[in-house]
Amino acid sequence: MRISELETKLNCKPLNQIYDKEADGAFISDMVSDVMAGAKAGSIWVTVQTHKNVVAAANLVDLAAIIIVRGKKVPEDTIQMADRAKLTLFATDEDTYQVAIRLFESGIKPGK
Amino acid sequence: MLRDRCIHSWAMTDVKYGFIVTEKCYHCNQVRTYFTFEETPPKEEYKEAEHYWNYEGSAQSIKFSMRCGKCGKVVTFEELMGLMQCMACDEGCYINIISQICEGQNIWVYAGLAYKSGQEVDLPAEKMDVLTTYFTSRLRTPGKKILVLPGSLRRSPESCRGEVLRDVGMVSLTPET
Repeated sequence: MRISELETKLNCKPLNQIYDKEADGAFISDMVSDVMAGAKAGSIWVTVQTHKNVVAAANLVDLAAIIIVRGKKVPEDTIQMADRAKLTLFATDEDTYQVAIRLFESGIKPGK
Repeated sequence: MLRDRCIHSWAMTDVKYGFIVTEKCYHCNQVRTYFTFEETPPKEEYKEAEHYWNYEGSAQSIKFSMRCGKCGKVVTFEELMGLMQCMACDEGCYINIISQICEGQNIWVYAGLAYKSGQEVDLPAEKMDVLTTYFTSRLRTPGKKILVLPGSLRRSPESCRGEVLRDVGMVSLTPET
């Protein structure tokens, strides 16, 4: 799936420019430690965390995009950092479970 | 001999979760940082030699080693407390200067912050090379690289606003109301 397809297929809103690339997995966790230890490059990360260190972690392991769930407000410095890393941030009011189902139905498999 | 010639293929192993704890002695103002595998970070004040250590803060993080899948060599990172990405807070800081140069070439700089006996030290060069090789090997974007540099390249560790990869407040994470 292309990152540019996420908005329509997953009912989520881009918070910054869409840096389009291919995504072929998903990783669900609310800990940057988990991402460092186990997330696979090219995966979409689903999390409730909005702190800018999520971008630092996603950039380190080359994730394709981040989806922030449950309507969390994302600080502007996190969005700016995502642009610096050319990483697209999405937000949705849905919870992690609903997003996981949509990802699965779109053909995305676990990224670990 | 085999290990000497091996072009290593590193994988993260022996991953353990714990807490990075920062303490301060209010008698001499010395600050120290250490890693603990206790279930919750110790917060009680205690005396050790001439110091009276008080809890300043903590964050969840991981300890890990790297193992070469070809030769079996294991490199431990007991002194590593975290990787930090520069936030460009100080124009004269070497980490900032190098980051700005490298990012134009799609090389992303992370400072390896290491502590021994509570005090900040540099990671040995071999260990920085292992981290650089390992994290670069995990990338998929063509031309992108990771470069791990010593934390001592920061001009002022005390005022540095770099973003350390650790989980702050996870044990008290609650839904927003």
